[in-house]
Amino acid sequence: MTTFERLQGLLGKDFDIAPEKLQRDARLEDLEIDSLRMIEIIFSVEEAFGITVPAEQAELKSRLVTFGDLVDYIDSLVARKSGAP
Amino acid sequence: MTRVAVSGAGVISPLGNDCASFFAALAEGRSGIGRIGSRFPERMGCRIGGAVAFDGSKIFPAAKLRMLDRVSQFALAACAEAVRDAGLDFKQVDVSRAGVSLGTGTGGAESTDEGYFTLYGQGSDRVKPFSVLMAMSNAAASWIGLDYGLTGPNLTYTTACSSSAVAIGEAARRIAAGDADVMIAGGAEASLNFGTLKAWEALKTLATEDPADPSASCKPFAKDRSGLVLGEGAAIVVLESFEHLEKRGGRARGELTGYGLTSDATHITRPSVEGQAAAMRRALESARIAPGEVDYINAHGTGTVANDGVETAAIKAVFGERAYSIPVSSTKSMHGHLLGAAGALEFVATLLALEKGFIPPTRHLRIRDPECDLDYVPERGRAAANARVGMSNSFAFGGTNAVLVVRT
Repeated sequence: MTTFERLQGLLGKDFDIAPEKLQRDARLEDLEIDSLRMIEIIFSVEEAFGITVPAEQAELKSRLVTFGDLVDYIDSLVARKSGAP
Repeated sequence: MTRVAVSGAGVISPLGNDCASFFAALAEGRSGIGRIGSRFPERMGCRIGGAVAFDGSKIFPAAKLRMLDRVSQFALAACAEAVRDAGLDFKQVDVSRAGVSLGTGTGGAESTDEGYFTLYGQGSDRVKPFSVLMAMSNAAASWIGLDYGLTGPNLTYTTACSSSAVAIGEAARRIAAGDADVMIAGGAEASLNFGTLKAWEALKTLATEDPADPSASCKPFAKDRSGLVLGEGAAIVVLESFEHLEKRGGRARGELTGYGLTSDATHITRPSVEGQAAAMRRALESARIAPGEVDYINAHGTGTVANDGVETAAIKAVFGERAYSIPVSSTKSMHGHLLGAAGALEFVATLLALEKGFIPPTRHLRIRDPECDLDYVPERGRAAANARVGMSNSFAFGGTNAVLVVRT
């Protein structure tokens, strides 16, 4: 399963966001994911993917604008953990 | 001086989750104290408390519930009843002149306990994402302000067992001083968790469980009283200036006429006759009434050896001979000691007693203590159709004494 699919499933199950709304270009603020909701999502993602997300709120806010940004960011952390380039 | 009306009330209590069921239980003399659950039942010395039957998931959507400690859930639920009761529509109110004033002893204690269990008990390196927001002492007041969009003062008082009496008294002051027209005031407590109960056990002030009937373990003013029984819940009242109330066509359930506030400054736990008496006197002075006009006293009456004797002496010091003819009852015998929510819950009990013309009893007072020789309305409540003025006493560890006077 890809990171995209896993995040779709996780946000659907734990945060009640319809999977069809979770497209790469969907803006997080349009999905009603505010700064606090993002903290919760990161907490769940850390558990599900077995990773640690180092970014604080400010960095998350500037780095993650769309759902695609979130997918890529998590992907990069998973890759870093598994030692891939 | 602006007069302050009580226009609505709401409760979440060990005796029921609205004013009607709360007072019905008080009038019947039914105790809400009993065996309580625990994360480690086999490690508990104290197994009794006044627990609330409450399921937040039936009230709050899941995403919101994840941000609310039990104490905030109680506060919001009690507030909803109070606002409904007052018939207040905040869309029609100048919200910049509406505020919140709550009392709590331990704030989000359940979240604190949960977090420490995760870290120390389970060896995890992280706690729930909203732990700070759930545990902070002002969370309950903040959520009320947020939910109703109130942009006036938003205050949280913590003076242990008198917290919510202080919160109500200070809210009335905000209105009297012209800072606000409407204040949502009261208190909430939800601290029946393993860690907090262990701390209370260590202080050795909790009641011994009654071997025959756990619900009868809290015995205020009785010779065989052995300590307090902890309870949880919330009580909220809507306070408004009479001018505001009349303008919107609301009705007053009562008038908060007096508030007395003193500190013992003698001992961190031991109460003082002088401090308690001074608070009652100040409350009478601010209500501009003579001691003879008080028809009912809802006592602090914790069921500890220290409090009940001292409170009796303080009532006598203030009321003289008249002390013997005023009904004085401790409803803690039925709902337990709600700590930071106690003052507000008992203020509501006092208001309801006057409204219904019925004095709730002090339950489990069967063996008289010569040191406690007032009319405590033992075991059975009684009609008091002409009762109009009630006093509610709240005295705290730390020494903050707060007394409220309400007239119907």
